[in-house]
Amino acid sequence: MSKLQKSAWVNLGIMTILTVFCMLCFVFMAKNNAKGIDYIIICFIVGCVSAPLIYVYLKKRGIERNFDEREQLIYKRSFAISAVAMMAFLFALCTIPFFVVGGANVVKVLYLPLIFYSALFAAQFIHSMAIIIQCAMEEENG
Amino acid sequence: MGSEHLTNNIRRLRFEHGQMTQQQLADKVGVTRQTIIATESGRYAPSLPLAFKIAQAFGIPIEQVFQYDNESS
Repeated sequence: MSKLQKSAWVNLGIMTILTVFCMLCFVFMAKNNAKGIDYIIICFIVGCVSAPLIYVYLKKRGIERNFDEREQLIYKRSFAISAVAMMAFLFALCTIPFFVVGGANVVKVLYLPLIFYSALFAAQFIHSMAIIIQCAMEEENG
Repeated sequence: MGSEHLTNNIRRLRFEHGQMTQQQLADKVGVTRQTIIATESGRYAPSLPLAFKIAQAFGIPIEQVFQYDNESS
């Protein structure tokens, strides 16, 4: 497995954990109508979860700097694919409820951070998968 | 990324230079073995600096490593 593939898998793992965790935090705060001390507790938990993940992420950035030109090309192409996919995902996420629920209705504010994190996750997921698939296709071709 | 008109003699040159492995060539020019495999098989057209590095690794001019096929264009 090349450095590029390893980096993509690490990215996928980090982003999955962070996204699920952030979404859970927002759902927890919304359910408990969080105020004051709840935010301090959540900030502490976020810090505990984020610190090791940020460390892994920074190590990964060091690896990314050592990609060669072909890997950089795959990386950039995957980034372009993920940017387009994120826009499409965000468009679907924001417009489908409009047509389903109707323009005159309201949605909970809780959905706003959830939409943000799911769009972020979708972009990272597609970016990582695009890298993994491109590398796998190249290996398959010899 | 493809190189429809670009051919190369990397495989032959590797064997002429003491059975040099793809990994050894990759280490010499500072890329991954996968990049050498892709270049050798013609699936990837290297940048000009990398093409020069490969030629330098064999100690020959770049045109003896890479050839551009004008006829098929």
